[in-house]
Parts: sequence; C-alpha cells; structure tokens
Amino acid sequence: MKKYTFYLKMITSSLFRRRSRMFTALLAVALGAAVLSGLVTIYYDIPRQMGQEFRSYGANIVFIASGEKSYFYDDDLKKAVSYLPAKDIVGITPYRYKTIKINEQPFMAAGTDLEQAQKTSPYWYVSGKWPQKDGEALIGQEVADLIRLKTGSVFSVVGTGADNKPFKRDFTVSAVVQTGGSEEAFIFMSLKDFENMAGGQNALDIAECSVSVSSERLGIIIKSVNENAQGITARPVKRISESEGAVLTKLQALIYLVTAIILILTMICVATTMMAVVAERRKEIGLKKALGATNRMIAAEFLGEDVFLGVFGGLLGAVAGFILAQAVSVNVFARSITFQPLLIPVTIAASIIITAAACFIPVRSAAEVDPAVVLRGE
Amino acid sequence: MNLLELKNVSKIYGEVKALQNIELSVAQGEWLAIMGPSGSGKTTMMNIIGCMDKPTHGRVILDGTDISKENAKALTSVRRDKIGLIFQQFHLINYLTALENVMAAQYYHSMQDEKEALEALARVGLARRAKHLPSQLSGGEQQRVCIARALINYPMLILADEPTGNLDETNEKIVLDIFKALHKEGSTIVVVTHDPEVAENTQRTVILEHGKIAKINVNKKINGGNKI
Repeated sequence: MKKYTFYLKMITSSLFRRRSRMFTALLAVALGAAVLSGLVTIYYDIPRQMGQEFRSYGANIVFIASGEKSYFYDDDLKKAVSYLPAKDIVGITPYRYKTIKINEQPFMAAGTDLEQAQKTSPYWYVSGKWPQKDGEALIGQEVADLIRLKTGSVFSVVGTGADNKPFKRDFTVSAVVQTGGSEEAFIFMSLKDFENMAGGQNALDIAECSVSVSSERLGIIIKSVNENAQGITARPVKRISESEGAVLTKLQALIYLVTAIILILTMICVATTMMAVVAERRKEIGLKKALGATNRMIAAEFLGEDVFLGVFGGLLGAVAGFILAQAVSVNVFARSITFQPLLIPVTIAASIIITAAACFIPVRSAAEVDPAVVLRGE
Repeated sequence: MNLLELKNVSKIYGEVKALQNIELSVAQGEWLAIMGPSGSGKTTMMNIIGCMDKPTHGRVILDGTDISKENAKALTSVRRDKIGLIFQQFHLINYLTALENVMAAQYYHSMQDEKEALEALARVGLARRAKHLPSQLSGGEQQRVCIARALINYPMLILADEPTGNLDETNEKIVLDIFKALHKEGSTIVVVTHDPEVAENTQRTVILEHGKIAKINVNKKINGGNKI
C-alpha cells in the first residue's frame, strides 16, 4: 500500500467512522457555503431581476430626431433598434403628436402603436378597453374631466393636417387612462387613425423603448446606437435608469456587506468547531506523536480532513445556496433565478479556502500537543 | 552491552523534584521493571526514557547516543526508530481497525506493509480480529493490538506503562506470556508496573521512592542466580 493511500484511508476513516462529530463540522461548513453561495447568486442576479422589475415603471430609452429635423422615419427607428439586444427588448412604442381642438379647446393628440404602448407603459391604469377598431381613442383623465367624456362617448376632433388642409374626425372613447403624469392630458389613437386624420406617412416625433438590461449596459447600448444610427438619437430616461442604478448599487453593497459578515461568521464557526475537535482529539494527537508522527504529518492529516469537509460542505452548500437564492427570488421578485453551474466549483473552492484558513490556528495547536499526554492519562 | 544508560538524571518542575540523580543502565536483551508508589517519578522516568521529555540535569544514552540534549524533532525521530510504546489504557486510534492501528505505526515510521502488520497481529493471536474497530475488541484484545503496534517497527527498546493494569487475570496471563516470548527472543523491555506478579517475571526491579532509586531487586530465579 502506498503512503498516500494510507493517508487517505486515515482521513476518510476519521470522517466516516466519527460521523456524529464530523457532522457538526460539516454542517458548519455547509451552512456557511449555502449562505455564501445563495447571496452570491442573488448578488449577480439582482441586476437582471431589478432590470425586469424596473420595466414596469416605463421605458428606459427614448428616441428623438437628430440634427435639425424635428422628426425621424420608421426606417431610422428600425435601424436604431437593430443595435439593441433583441431578446431583452420589452417593447418599442413610436409616437406622433399633433395639437387638435375639441369643442374649441386645444388638446394634444398622440398616434401610437397601442399594443406596444401596453408593454412600455404597463403602469397606465386604463378604465375600459384599449382601442381595438378604427375610430376608437384612449383619452387621458384630464381630457375626460374637461370635456366631460366617458367610455362610449363620441367626440369630434378638428385641426390642420400635414398638407395644411383642415380636418375633422369623430372618435369613440374606448377607455380613460390615468397615469399620474402628463399623459392624462393626451388623446391616444392608433398610428393609422392618426395618419388618416393628420396626414404625413411614417414620420415619428419620438419613440419609447423598454429594454431589460442593467443601467450600466444601457449606457453602452445607447452609446452604440448613437455612434451607428443616423437621423435618430437615443437618450436614457434618467428618471428610470438613474433610480435603477442607485437602487442596484445600494442593494449590491448591502449584499456585499452581508456576504462579508457571513464569511467571517462562517470562519469563526468552523474555527470554533475545529478547535473543539482538536481539543477532543488531544490524546489521539499525542498518541500519533508518541508513535513518531511529525508536526507536519499531524497538520497534513487535519488539513486533509478540512479539505474533505470543504469539498463536501461546499457541494452541499452550493446546492442549498441555490435553493435559498431561488426561494428569495421567488418570494421577493416573483421570478425564478438562473442556475449558474460555475458557482459549484467556486463555492467548493471558497469552502476549502475558508475551512483551511479557519483551521490554521487549531491545526497549529494540534501540532503542539505534547506526546506525553498519552502517558499522563489525561 | 548497555542499550540504555541514565547518568545522574534529575527532572525538576519548579519546586518539585520529580527525579533526583538517577543512575541506571539497562543491558541489551534485559527485562526490567520499574515499581513505586504514585508520585514516585515512574511516569517522569518513562517520559524521559521514551523521548517524550528531557531531563533537567544528567545524560540519557540510548544505543550509544546522548539524547538528553536533542530537540523535539530529533526525539520524535529516536522514538519512531528505536522505541516501541505500550500503554496502560491501550490508546488505539478509535476510528481505525486493529490492522490499521498497527499499520499507522508503520506509516509514521516508513512504509506500511499489510502482510507484515497481519503477521504482527497473528503473533499476538489476533489475526481473526484484524478488521475490527477498537470498540469491538475486549480490553485484553486491545492491549494485544497495542503490543503488535509497538513491535511492528522492530524497536530496540520496548517501553510498557502498566501493560496489565486494566486487564483481568486471563488477559494479564496472555500479555505476560507475550512479554516472556519477546524477552526470550532477545527484546529489551522496560515495564512500569504496580503489579508484583509482572515484576516477578522480570530480571531486575527498580523501586522508586520520592524521585530516587530506593532499591534494585535482582530476580535470581529468572537470572539463574547471576547478578546483573
């Protein structure tokens, strides 16, 4: 039998034939690894979760015309959008605006893609049904209050079209929208109705886009659009992206702090457990030294046991940590997290390092045990 | 030829003089007993002879080498290579089988040899209990494993601390028979004991009192009437 085979035999026998003792140490390592792995998973998943969470607060990119023109074309928007990560786009809503009059009172009409508007502005509170047919409009609460309109009311709109000719159109109120913002003073209709009413083909005033990415990545995307797209400029909706960035930074800092505290607590816990194990095995250490074991041999045996504990504890902790992170994510964000396979070897490696570091003092004290303890019958 | 010599050895712990001016030599192949009441210095003497402690004064010469001034690392090496220890409380590693306990001594010494370890167990009549853990062995069986472990590296000196102290009459006889056989084969044995029956089987008995050698009894029956 080779020397290292017997070394492994001694370590595994010590671990598996002293189950109850080692279970305590394994539990300490596994618990630490679980919390560590869980928090790291949450730490890295938070930007994605919060990104999705923030999408319910509206668009985070707004496209406007660049240069001297006050409008851009549908094709310009399509080219700009091609620079966005397709899988992360929640919605893109183009808008055209025109001042119109209802009962001689001026209001702002907005032609838009109503289906996309529901995606980029999920926070709108709509009483009634979103316009489904031609001639249906969604009016803001402020408009409804001023001209006393309600769902099902018919109203006439007059104005001057793109060709400078006057127009007059009738619309039916399909729903009233409350947003708590300036949108409550608008009359929303489909782009088709808007173009039929005011003329002008494919020209857009602005477009709102909701992309589910971190604020950091958003900046990179916007830069890339602005460097490559023509006739159009992308700008971040600072109200959203900056709040997202601030919240994320604070949340990540909090988790970073908690992770560091957990790391220290784990080390203390493992070190205390190992100190107790060493104290309990003083006589065994003394015996081994009496039989001729060197300090290095004793330290190597304890470190070998620690590595085993680190591997098994880390593995258990990585699995338990994922379950913990999943539970936190489902309860807080109502969404599941993605499993990161890389986290398993990282957690195991961290557990080995933490366990070895935590065992440094107990192992040193183990090596200093006097072999005479076996004769004193302590 | 003397294997072990203690020359003017003293051990002092603060105010307590555990051993005082001990002069003793143990010949190659001799079986010596150390007796004395509690606190007489037996354990201190065992620790010094077993290279687990150093004397405050005097010299300890083992196999021609003065070990009294050696450091802990060198003493470990001497203990590993030249001394076989047998304990009253057996001190087996509880998570290793009888065979593995014997092999552990080989592991710390040089290379493990399972066949040789099994032979050592067979010699003490425990070949069939080789795969048993200490908890599955009786006290006598555990002491025999301890003896097999002490013998496995062919030590020059077998040092036994109350080897029959925790055994019943039957097991005491088995262990004594093993010691007799070892002595017949030429092993040098130093045994610390309270048991006059054990001492009766040795060639000489050193009586310690208050850290001093009070008397040395030569067993004429064993030595055939020759004084050592």
